[in-house]
Amino acid sequence: MSETKAINSDATQVGGTGRVMIDVVNMDKFFGDFQALKNINMKVGEQEVVVVIGPSGSGKSTLIRCINRLERHDRGSIVVDGVELSDDIKAIQNIRRETGMVFQSFNLFPHLSVLDNITLAPRNVRNIPKAEAEATAMELLERVKIPDQARKFPGQMSGGQQQRVAIARSLAMKPKVILFDEPTSALDPEMIKEVLDTMKDLATEGMTMICVTHEMGFAREVADRVVFMADGEIVEVGTPEHFFTNPEEERTQLFLSQIL
Amino acid sequence: MAGKDAMYLGDDITAALATDSSPPSTKLSPADWAKKNLFSSGVNSLLTIVVGLAALALLWFGLNWVISADFEIIRANLRIFMIGQFPKEELWRPWTSAYVLILGAGLTTGALARNSHELDLSQEIESHKEGWGSMLRRFWPVLLVSIFFVSFARTLLPFIGLAGAFALIVVAREIGWRMPAAIRERAIFIGVALFIVSMLVIAGTSRLGGYALGLVAFLWMMSELSRVDSLPKGFAGTLIRSGIALVVAAMVAIIQNLIPHDGFGWENWGGLHISLFTAVVGISLGMPFGILLALGRKSDLPVLKTASVIFIEFVRGVPLISLLLFSNLMLPLFLPIDFERPADLTLAIIVITGFSAAYIAEIVRGGLQAVPKGQTEAAQASGMSAASVQRLIVLPQALRAVIPAMVGQFIALFKDTSLLSIIGILEFLRVSDTSNSQQAFVGKGLASVTYLFVAIGYWAFAYTMSKESRRLEAKLGVGHR
Repeated sequence: MSETKAINSDATQVGGTGRVMIDVVNMDKFFGDFQALKNINMKVGEQEVVVVIGPSGSGKSTLIRCINRLERHDRGSIVVDGVELSDDIKAIQNIRRETGMVFQSFNLFPHLSVLDNITLAPRNVRNIPKAEAEATAMELLERVKIPDQARKFPGQMSGGQQQRVAIARSLAMKPKVILFDEPTSALDPEMIKEVLDTMKDLATEGMTMICVTHEMGFAREVADRVVFMADGEIVEVGTPEHFFTNPEEERTQLFLSQIL
Repeated sequence: MAGKDAMYLGDDITAALATDSSPPSTKLSPADWAKKNLFSSGVNSLLTIVVGLAALALLWFGLNWVISADFEIIRANLRIFMIGQFPKEELWRPWTSAYVLILGAGLTTGALARNSHELDLSQEIESHKEGWGSMLRRFWPVLLVSIFFVSFARTLLPFIGLAGAFALIVVAREIGWRMPAAIRERAIFIGVALFIVSMLVIAGTSRLGGYALGLVAFLWMMSELSRVDSLPKGFAGTLIRSGIALVVAAMVAIIQNLIPHDGFGWENWGGLHISLFTAVVGISLGMPFGILLALGRKSDLPVLKTASVIFIEFVRGVPLISLLLFSNLMLPLFLPIDFERPADLTLAIIVITGFSAAYIAEIVRGGLQAVPKGQTEAAQASGMSAASVQRLIVLPQALRAVIPAMVGQFIALFKDTSLLSIIGILEFLRVSDTSNSQQAFVGKGLASVTYLFVAIGYWAFAYTMSKESRRLEAKLGVGHR
């Protein structure tokens, strides 16, 4: 390596349709004195699938949790579909309405049936009549291939089924973006595939997605762009081919050598 | 099972070692059972013998005492033990009130049992209608004690009354079970409305009763209107709904007030009736206040938070007796002169409500902390408002988690009602004292008889509640809900 080649760490080149869906500018996030995110600049285009990878503690989850205000960012700006996140609760709720989220630990509501889990937000937030919300929910359950589980409670289902319900729940709000926070990390190996297949279907259908994941196969197959983060910074950005054939940054190489 | 070593392995391991695939029989002959459980070691054998002898001795002396004791004092005072100084010519009131209450309880529990049964069936969970044998196992202490109480009666009327009550609860439950789904969904309102009607029967119509009925009418109406999809949603919809409900509620209250006030009030209430009544009212009013206090304590608004903390910590830091005395002796001094002094029982109920609210608040706070953060986040992430998140996601789970503690608080409160005697209310325990100072019985040393009678009464209700709480816990804990 005689000549120093500039490593591409610019995450603002949007893909998809080219229309900017999420725009993060100079964003910092602190937990007390600890700086969790350092000067993040990132854009996500409509219908684009961005996979965020990186070692644990690198700020991946914090980044997507800032996008729907589960964490408050301290500096910079975040704009989702033209609405800027501020302390204004109306703006926050507008963004949350358009942004689905799928969690590592599913976070289904254990006291509600699958059907109620899915129809709760549409009925409560969008004021959709019960019958209509339930019809939509059944369609979504067909889509994630578990329509026979509609009357069950989350505790009666396998992890993979629960995560698919969680995906259906986020889809029920007809979001413009879905944020996935390590959706397969809490699953038994034989259940990971069913969830990833559901996510692939979504990507094919043109959903805008940001996925924090350790599933490199998924990243390789589905991602339009892969963003590698370490120590709260975006270190390297590129296509999947680029990442899995010739990653340039030392930390990227180290991480990939450990995980692959 | 050869030698001592095999015993250390335990049944499950021995079973696993065996090649036979059918589960081992766990039935033991009585001799084997006794050997395994009562005389397995020297210490165990000694313990068995000592405790067994002590139990026999207790039984012997107990039986002797019961046979030789004079229960005339109970017979003479049975009515006072049950309902205090309630005028004899008005006895139809407590009886009718009790029957209305039983009707309401039967209809509501029957309907709720059916609802839960249908829900289970819809999820393909095996579920059967609960038989009367199982009901008997659940409520035997209360049934047995009511028969025991009535056995001291000197006329036939209470026997007939009790038999009628048993018949009514059976019939009402069956009707409740068979009611159409549309009515069953509203069972709670029917139950609460009948509870208030039963109170109006015994106390006579009054303004307070009117307010209570109005409140029920309001809540019922709100629940009905929330099912109507054609009304607008959001804030405007809430305004319209509240408006309509308020009008209906006001009409109910006004009509109730138009009925002549042959108010009997609760001045002369007493006995077991008042103990049960204050406990039930204290807990059912204390619950909503307690939940609000718990939410207030967790609130981000400093004024709300401080006020909640001060109230909770003050009430929890002071004995109930002192609060009762304060309300009874001091509070009237602070009231305006032309303000009519509220009845002792009214003051007592206010104090008990506040007292239970403070304790319930702390119980609920524990439950709120037990709900994982992910639940709130998932609800927030879907765009729900903070109030909706609390109401639909956090509170239902928190309350479910604290049912055992809540029932414990209810049992404690039921027993604490015996403190009402301090402010001159003739509750269940105090009847024991007053009957012993009657001319016919004074100085005869019959206090132990009356105390035993009262203790059995308290025990039957407290034990049934404790059993029911365990049942509820098991029911809510079966993997789902």
